[in-house]
Amino acid sequence: MATLNLKSIKKIYPHSGQKASKKKAGAPEKKINLQVTEQGVVAVQEFNLDIADKEFIVLVGPSGCGKSTTLRMVAGLEEISEGELYIDGQLMNDVEPKNRDIAMVFQSYALYPHMTVYDNMAFPLKLRKMSKEEIDRRVKEAAEILDITQYLDRKPKALSGGQRQRVAIGRAIVREPKVLLMDEPLSNLDAKLRNQMRAEIIKLRQKINTTFMYVTHDQTEAMTLGDRIVIMKDGFIQQIGTPQEVFHHPANLFVAGFIGSPQMNFFNAKLSAEGGRYRVTVGSYTAELPEAKAKVLSGKGVGNQEVTLGVRPDHMVLANSGEAALVGRVDVSEMMGSAVHLHVTAEGRDVVVIVPTMDISGNYVESFSPGSEIRLTFGGSVCHLFDKEGRNLEF
Amino acid sequence: MSKRKPWQTMLLYLFVFVVCIVIIYPYFVMFTTAAKTDAEMYAANMTILPLEWQWSNFINAWKAAPVFKYFLNSLLVAGGATLVAIGCGIPAAYAMARMRFKGKGFFLGAVIMSQMFSPVVLLVGIYKLMVGMHLSNSILGLVLLNAAFNQAFAIWLLRGTFLTISAEMEQAAKIDGCGTVQALLRVLLPVSAPGIVTALIFVFINAWNEYTIALTLIQDDLLKPITVGINIFYGYNFIQWQYLFATSLFATVPVIVLFLCIEKHLVAGLTAGGVKG
Repeated sequence: MATLNLKSIKKIYPHSGQKASKKKAGAPEKKINLQVTEQGVVAVQEFNLDIADKEFIVLVGPSGCGKSTTLRMVAGLEEISEGELYIDGQLMNDVEPKNRDIAMVFQSYALYPHMTVYDNMAFPLKLRKMSKEEIDRRVKEAAEILDITQYLDRKPKALSGGQRQRVAIGRAIVREPKVLLMDEPLSNLDAKLRNQMRAEIIKLRQKINTTFMYVTHDQTEAMTLGDRIVIMKDGFIQQIGTPQEVFHHPANLFVAGFIGSPQMNFFNAKLSAEGGRYRVTVGSYTAELPEAKAKVLSGKGVGNQEVTLGVRPDHMVLANSGEAALVGRVDVSEMMGSAVHLHVTAEGRDVVVIVPTMDISGNYVESFSPGSEIRLTFGGSVCHLFDKEGRNLEF
Repeated sequence: MSKRKPWQTMLLYLFVFVVCIVIIYPYFVMFTTAAKTDAEMYAANMTILPLEWQWSNFINAWKAAPVFKYFLNSLLVAGGATLVAIGCGIPAAYAMARMRFKGKGFFLGAVIMSQMFSPVVLLVGIYKLMVGMHLSNSILGLVLLNAAFNQAFAIWLLRGTFLTISAEMEQAAKIDGCGTVQALLRVLLPVSAPGIVTALIFVFINAWNEYTIALTLIQDDLLKPITVGINIFYGYNFIQWQYLFATSLFATVPVIVLFLCIEKHLVAGLTAGGVKG
């Protein structure tokens, strides 16, 4: 059993001496993305998360959002400025990394170049003064799982990137840690190898009983690996949820734009409420929201207002002739094989639409040349509505 | 890269050949002079090569003066200074490379500034200090002074080496079960071997070649290192050139052997240290 509880975690990087003396007391200022206070740069704040035993949690967000800092605080490599960290109910704030019973896989592999693969994997076990037989058993077992048995006598420099990353994972799992931390472990691999290793991690997860905390900036990794995803921006958690939840019910504009590829299309729209029914209007096109959505909005007392409407590219379809539609002009057409990604200008916005190249009857769909007019439609059930502050109106 | 033309290659080889001659010639003259007889040394029409090879000079030099003792002293001074300089340099460089603390920049500046003073300028002060500490006329005094004069170089070179090594490697070691010192000893130092070896060689050679301080501090003949002790052949009326050169040749042997043993590490260390820092 290994639960992880992060309560109101905050990380402040103090100013260097010179900057601190220049900084005058006053209201906190925003510098680049992160908040800067008198104490220093706030990299992470108000981080609250309870991770269940054997859960796979993925922290995702753009560069500088604080995801790696959070992971490093869990590892004990960064001091926690405020808040409490519990592993299995034990307060870990001031516990040395070696005594937290965690293992970590780094983006740069961080293998020991002067040791063989075997010694790299045996190193943490030797430090724990395990018997030679036990070390040998565990190393060989992990090597078997990761399919690196044939490389045990090699030095890391004689391995490819993918093999090195397997060794790094092997070094982490031989210890059978309570929590396995992974800091962008696939970022240094090429696209093909990354896909392969992603599948390996999914398999690995089924084989070993441990809690995973995984950091990535790649939303595909986040969606495919995580039981739950924590989306971060500027040091704050934006949303915590299952991949389905964050995809279908994004809490705010940032999450809506960050999760999903190509990203969600946004329009300036008007929301009108009348007799418990809601309509959203973009230009001359109006979509009626389904009853379920209307009920939620009405329950929250949402009235007529200007909103940002979000629609995913694969939820926008070509309108039939005579049908009410949003009219746009094709800028670029990207052939992706089974579908075409059309970059369209509509209502003054850049919009991406995914159009299948073949319909269900096996007929090829008409091609769109740049400059041609296109008529688009979407249903009310796929509409995401955000207020002026960017919050999802349904939340 | 374009291929070099034959005449360019020829010119390059010629240039390298000339440079080699310029470097090797003094050693060649030392060697041939060391093998000459007394009479030949002061003959009017002296030749470069000896007319009669007196190989016994190389053995007699050891008998004519306590050369072995001088060698031993030099080894003690250079070895001791290297140990102290590297021993203190490693933790200092580690702190400079990995830790965040106030005054770090000032300390690094001060360290490099200490390198700007020639020992000759500080000679009087050093002498007074050593007398005050009862370390004049002692091998230990020379060890400490040589270590001090090479400390800045060792710290900067080692810091440069540590900076080129990913901090994640040490962090991985800490998570694997090491403390800070253990991570330094078991992971960082083995990986930094080329840089450490480079620092080691430079400090050893500098201390081995040191002359001025040893000449000032050491009065006892049997405590002199080879650089100072060799003066014994340089008499007021008569200079024993053959012994002087024979001993000088011997004195270069440890340095050459050291270079040959660790040449590969040296090149790697110089490049590693040059990337950052």
